[in-house]
Amino acid sequence: MVNKATEIETMTIERTLSKGSFIKAVSAVVWKDLRAEFRSRELFSAMLVFSLLIILIFNFALELDVKTRQSVTAGVLWSTFAFAGTLGLNRSMAIEKDRGCLDGLLLAPVDRSAIYFGKVISNLVFMLIVEAIVLPVYSVLYTVNLFQPGLLLVILLGSIGYVGVGTLLSAMSVQTRTRDILLPILLFPVVIPVLLAAVKASSGFLTGSELADILLPINLLIAYDVIFIAVAFMVFDSVVEE
Amino acid sequence: MGSKPTALKILDILSIILLAISTYLALVFAPTERVMGDVQRVFYFHIGTAWTALLGFILAAVFSVIYLVTKDLKWDRLQVASIEVSLVFFLITIVLGSIWARPAWNTWWTWDPRLTTAAVTELIYVAYFMLRQGIDDPDKRARFGAVYALVGGLSAPITFFAIRLFRTIHPVVIGGTNPEADGGFSMTADMRVAFFFALFAFTVIFIDLFWNRIRLGDLQEKVEQLKLRMSM
Amino acid sequence: MFFQEATPDTSGYMIAGYVITFLVMALYVGSIYLRSRNLKQDMTTLNELEEPVPPIQATPASPPTRSMAASQNNKSAKTVTKKSRRK
Repeated sequence: MVNKATEIETMTIERTLSKGSFIKAVSAVVWKDLRAEFRSRELFSAMLVFSLLIILIFNFALELDVKTRQSVTAGVLWSTFAFAGTLGLNRSMAIEKDRGCLDGLLLAPVDRSAIYFGKVISNLVFMLIVEAIVLPVYSVLYTVNLFQPGLLLVILLGSIGYVGVGTLLSAMSVQTRTRDILLPILLFPVVIPVLLAAVKASSGFLTGSELADILLPINLLIAYDVIFIAVAFMVFDSVVEE
Repeated sequence: MGSKPTALKILDILSIILLAISTYLALVFAPTERVMGDVQRVFYFHIGTAWTALLGFILAAVFSVIYLVTKDLKWDRLQVASIEVSLVFFLITIVLGSIWARPAWNTWWTWDPRLTTAAVTELIYVAYFMLRQGIDDPDKRARFGAVYALVGGLSAPITFFAIRLFRTIHPVVIGGTNPEADGGFSMTADMRVAFFFALFAFTVIFIDLFWNRIRLGDLQEKVEQLKLRMSM
Repeated sequence: MFFQEATPDTSGYMIAGYVITFLVMALYVGSIYLRSRNLKQDMTTLNELEEPVPPIQATPASPPTRSMAASQNNKSAKTVTKKSRRK
């Protein structure tokens, strides 16, 4: 049932895309994903439950008493996001490939990078929604206020970098034999600067460090986001061509 | 694929000779370092392999760009060769770094920027080969390899600077003899000779292995072509 | 500090380091050699299999795919230049 609906949507998108507008193409991809996900909620529920389970595991794995909590919260949060993120990225691309939507999109006379940006935005939305739920849950479980604007900014910037590279790499991994297993292997070593800077900046905001110290990792995050989204934009074509 | 070109045969012999001389300089000619003792001698090979491997990885990123632009599979073979040789050299670098750390700081691993980045970089290029292994189509394999080598090559230096900027390192120092957390030492003139010779020797050895590996790749390509032709 | 610290005897580590270095390099060279030998054997086997070509199979294979044609062209161009260089 969902398949049929998505097929109809893909055809609608192809018609939209044939008008040749880049922004139209991007938003077409984004809306297709959001609408499909809204109906099935399969990605979202999986990522959410997985995140909550990870937090639970961390509770047993680490001594999250009041003392250590402060130093470890940023790390726990970002580990959770990183692992749950691969789930979302994998499924998102697998859905494209399995339902043949990708081929349909590729036939349209639009720059391939529109597909890239569309997927990045939809993946980012999914990730942000999950993060938006994990944050209050963690706040409640560990009595720590995570709703500081600085922290939210870091989470946004970090997620952008993660999803930017992750979308490109998942487009590759989904076309290999090993598929799902390969994405974390490809992604994690490359996304370490994001994790490093994000944890450092998050930690800074949570422990009330000086702004000067926090600005440095934030700048790195911005730089990373810009560099890698630019690179992905340039090479995405090579990754999806037949 | 004929026999080895003479130039390569000469290079093979030259590499072995240079390796021998470098070993002599590092083990005998250079003086024993006062603070750490003989283990410091691994430093010459440690830097020799590190420097060439890094060049190899940078070269691989360049090959990525050239391949993506020209779509000529020759550049893909060059990339595979350079990454494979660099992977081996960097492994040596990491192991020697660990061996050096043990007596110097009483720990098998220091999470300092260089060693950590080296480990991350090594993992990136292992992932590179795992990616390639999962693809059968040579053209797709080349394209994906190129993209990942490029992404990986860009992220590794960023990782290095990130660790340098954000992580304070606290290696455990034996007896506090070495105030520099870096485990640094000043080089005497003789040490410098051994050092620079090692750099030179390993560059030559790298080129030799690189060339040999390229020939292997070309041979692989020929066999693949034959197999394809036969199956038609 | 007036006492002279003796230089520690870390030669064991040094030996370990050098042994590992030579071992890894030897293994890699060996790996290249073995792979090369196996491929050459494959090639002779494949060439032998190709020898007895039945007369019906006069026409060569149908136009190969784009990438194969491209690499084949590069191959023939390369072998020509390689041969001339070797001379």
